[in-house]
Amino acid sequence: MKYEMVAGFETHIELATNTKIFCSCTTQFGGDPNTHCCPICIGLPGTLPKLNKQVIKYAIMAGLATNCEIANISKMDRKNYCYPDLPKAYQISQYDKPLCEHGYVQLSSGKKIRLTRIHIEEDAGKLIHKRGDTYVDYNRGGVPLIEIVSEPDIRSVEEAKEYVEKLQQIMRFIGISDCKMQEGSMRCDVNISVRPEGSDKLGTRTEIKNMNSITFIGRAMEYEFQRQVDLIESGGQVEQQTLRYDDVSNTTSSMRGKEDANDYRYFRDPDLVTISVTDEEIDELRKQIPELPFQKAERYVKEFGMNEKDAQNISKYRRIAEFFEEASDGVKTPKTVSNFIIGQIFRRLETEDDKEKFDIAITAQQLKELVKLIDEGKVKNNLAKSTLEKMLDTGKSVTEFISESDMAGMDEGTLAELCKKAVEANPKAVADYKAGKVKALKSMVGFVMKESRGKADASAAEAKILEIIS
Amino acid sequence: MVTHEDVIAIARLSKLYIPEEELDAMTKAMDDIIKFADTINNASEEGVEFDNINNLSNAFREDEVVPSYDREEILRNANDIDEGHFLVRKRV
Amino acid sequence: MESKIRHYSNMLKNREITCQELTEKYLAGIDTSNKDLNAYVTVTAEAAIEAAKKVDEKLSRGEEISQLEGIPMTLKDNISTKGIETTCCSKILEGYKPIYNATVWETLQAQGAVLLGKTNMDEFAMGSSSETSYYGGASNPHNINHVAGGSSGGVASAVGGNIAVYGLGSDTGGSIRQPASFCGIVGLKPTYGAVSRFGLIAYASSFDQIGPITTTVEDSAIVYDAISGYDKMDSTSQGRKGAPTMDTLKNDIKGMKIGIAREYLEGVRDDVRVCIEKACEVYKSLGAEIVYFNLPALKYALPVYYILACAEASSNLGRYDGIRYGYRTDAYKDVNEMICKTRSEGFGDEVKRRIMLGTYVLSAGYYDAYYKKAQNLRGSIVNAFKNAFKSCDVILAPTVPMTAFEKGNAISDPIETYLTDICTVPVNIAGLPGVSIPCGFSENGLPIGMQLIGNTFCESTILNAAWQYENAVGSEVFKASEYGVKL
Repeated sequence: MKYEMVAGFETHIELATNTKIFCSCTTQFGGDPNTHCCPICIGLPGTLPKLNKQVIKYAIMAGLATNCEIANISKMDRKNYCYPDLPKAYQISQYDKPLCEHGYVQLSSGKKIRLTRIHIEEDAGKLIHKRGDTYVDYNRGGVPLIEIVSEPDIRSVEEAKEYVEKLQQIMRFIGISDCKMQEGSMRCDVNISVRPEGSDKLGTRTEIKNMNSITFIGRAMEYEFQRQVDLIESGGQVEQQTLRYDDVSNTTSSMRGKEDANDYRYFRDPDLVTISVTDEEIDELRKQIPELPFQKAERYVKEFGMNEKDAQNISKYRRIAEFFEEASDGVKTPKTVSNFIIGQIFRRLETEDDKEKFDIAITAQQLKELVKLIDEGKVKNNLAKSTLEKMLDTGKSVTEFISESDMAGMDEGTLAELCKKAVEANPKAVADYKAGKVKALKSMVGFVMKESRGKADASAAEAKILEIIS
Repeated sequence: MVTHEDVIAIARLSKLYIPEEELDAMTKAMDDIIKFADTINNASEEGVEFDNINNLSNAFREDEVVPSYDREEILRNANDIDEGHFLVRKRV
Repeated sequence: MESKIRHYSNMLKNREITCQELTEKYLAGIDTSNKDLNAYVTVTAEAAIEAAKKVDEKLSRGEEISQLEGIPMTLKDNISTKGIETTCCSKILEGYKPIYNATVWETLQAQGAVLLGKTNMDEFAMGSSSETSYYGGASNPHNINHVAGGSSGGVASAVGGNIAVYGLGSDTGGSIRQPASFCGIVGLKPTYGAVSRFGLIAYASSFDQIGPITTTVEDSAIVYDAISGYDKMDSTSQGRKGAPTMDTLKNDIKGMKIGIAREYLEGVRDDVRVCIEKACEVYKSLGAEIVYFNLPALKYALPVYYILACAEASSNLGRYDGIRYGYRTDAYKDVNEMICKTRSEGFGDEVKRRIMLGTYVLSAGYYDAYYKKAQNLRGSIVNAFKNAFKSCDVILAPTVPMTAFEKGNAISDPIETYLTDICTVPVNIAGLPGVSIPCGFSENGLPIGMQLIGNTFCESTILNAAWQYENAVGSEVFKASEYGVKL
């Protein structure tokens, strides 16, 4: 029998606010243990939470960018469970009135992965287990999170990966999180079950917790899918449980202890008041949502005639897209700009992180200057390429490398003079060409280009040489 | 009727141990209190939605960093610390 | 009755006594009386003298001092004081010294208050006799074989026993008013949100309020005016609304409508009812009008209170796990066992019972029948009071249906004890202000109290009515105990 995967995601994303959700401590990643703490975020008796306004804004933006309805009225609840990384023995979260509901993320296939809800909550601290001792660091405790809960709409590992990537792109684009999975600012739990293809019943699901890389998510889901299929095929039953994925052995294993008694006793947090957002405020935030990557990609294809892949590559990273748009504003051939970015600039940005940061030496205006010279026919492509390399090395403008006279172009007479010189200096090439070796012509054109320091027009030179030797 | 099992389950959620010899007494006490609490279910009225005591909304803080406490202060009241962490040492 | 605070403040200003002398007299009073009263659990003699010296220096430089400056006072042991042990009278917080100040203490300290020490209370404010305290109960200064009440029993015992000029208590279900009533003094529970809760160690967050316990109504007004205010650290804080209560304290109350809800007088001991009736006569003689009405919603007040308060408490007290502060057990297998043993050894029986009840009413399958239902009935009670205040300005009711229990009686039957909170909890459920003032004595000489309940943020009105009564009856009713300092 063929089986189908049914999966849904719970994604935790740390918001890029300056301060924690309920106190004014910094949210900076790292730092010596327990140095980003105050009486509030270590839960000293008598302390009270005060909600960070920016958290609400960012969460609403996340909702708007994923097509959610924003609740005019919501509230904070306590999720009670006792664990050493949770200093109050409850996590302040949202239970039955989340800030955002009923959204979706659209995959490139056009399929929509529905989002049940997005709510805000606080992160827990960090536990380190050493030789049976437990060390507790509360620096991360109280860092604001949004939790994005999807419907079980995902049917394959590919869809899962694309879903997570899309979320990552969107959140980075709207600037509410850096979504660094390796630093834990984006973490995924996946609910997964299997069912015979064609069935519309849901199987018993398991939950794989806390995965922090897209590759691992893929592997874990593949492993867990196969495990469940094998179990059912051999007459067994899937047991509902929480699993941990081990990336070394590439297996999942049962997690015990933390939530043996799963009764969170949610109730409204009496220390916090109602959150009320007006339609006007929501509209105001809607205006702050920039054009999103896939919207940009679509536009690039339509407006600039870029191919889809290039359009996606450029639009994927906010800084690159902005750079591209600025550099191509007013130029004749935006494609030249995207070619430079994908061809030469990307070579200097090896990792995703590099691309995300987009730390390069030149400004969009500097690139634009160069492309405009090409547009005007003042600089030829080859020269432009080598010049761009120099610009990227030094951060200097195009005029530092190409002088006015270089740009002036080459008059007919000078070109004819140079071509004559090329023919005279390369008798062997002339002979070879006449003997049928077409390539020999290129070496003479090369001579002209070299002599003119790239100023000459290669095709004009070729025509002229042919004229001379024939 | 509150049972021993209820009390044990509630104690586990509450992170409390109820020693065997106190189980009867605690069960009796819980049962009495629950019976007392149950009188609200005799109320003919359903009541009205209660939001918060003064119907307040939107008490927000600006997103401005205030320096955190010195770690020494943060750890001052801890029973056991090591390398800047709160510590629960393994015991036998 | 003359304001004690004003009296001492004038003595300081007129240089009839130095602040250090005044403070030392009080410290000496504590030395002799605390053995009987067990009001204080921590005495901060050195810091008090230091603070007093500063006031004296200021005076000797000829500088002005504020009304509360140099006045020796006390704080209930659940109000966080930086560097000073704050234990909620629980073993689980033994040795805990906060690293920050509660907003109220920050405010008073800035006004030059002289803190004598921290006072006894029921463990985590859960109790009506202060006998659930890890340090044993506080005694009633009118008869030390009786309790001071609870949970702010220590403050009431210290103020009634004249070993503090005033004190701050907290009131979740009557914890300021009930001990004030038992000890024959004045206790004001402010409107929810009038005084910051930041730094008050939580029992039940949507009920808790800090307020003054004093010997005179004017003192309560002075202290309330000083501590009420918006605090950005407390999301539920709103501060005082309107002018200081002192501005209208002594106003005429002719035409004021004083309401009596019949339900408040049901099941009340005869001598207490008689005192309330007498008080009505006093008010009539002052030109007030007595109006009677029913408040049937009060019938469910007690279970509603215990369900909701315990639910919140079960969550608020989850944090005592032995990791960051407080007591930790010695022997354990793993972290989970350490936490469970720490809590089992660190909490007393009443606290455990309330945590268990709170956990129960919030747990899956019971939430709707108990927590949700109680929350909705809370809504009904709020509305019932709202309606009541359409026909009256203040509500007059007994504070407690009886006088102070004999020691040891309160903790023998928890439910019986819960029932004694019947008159005080409705105020907390509805977030209203209420002030308890003395209104007579029982046959055996124990004080009887009555409370004046006002609409939200109408502290001025109830204090005005309370002051007029006090002024009319005088020291026959507002009678000092034999204990402590008298100047």
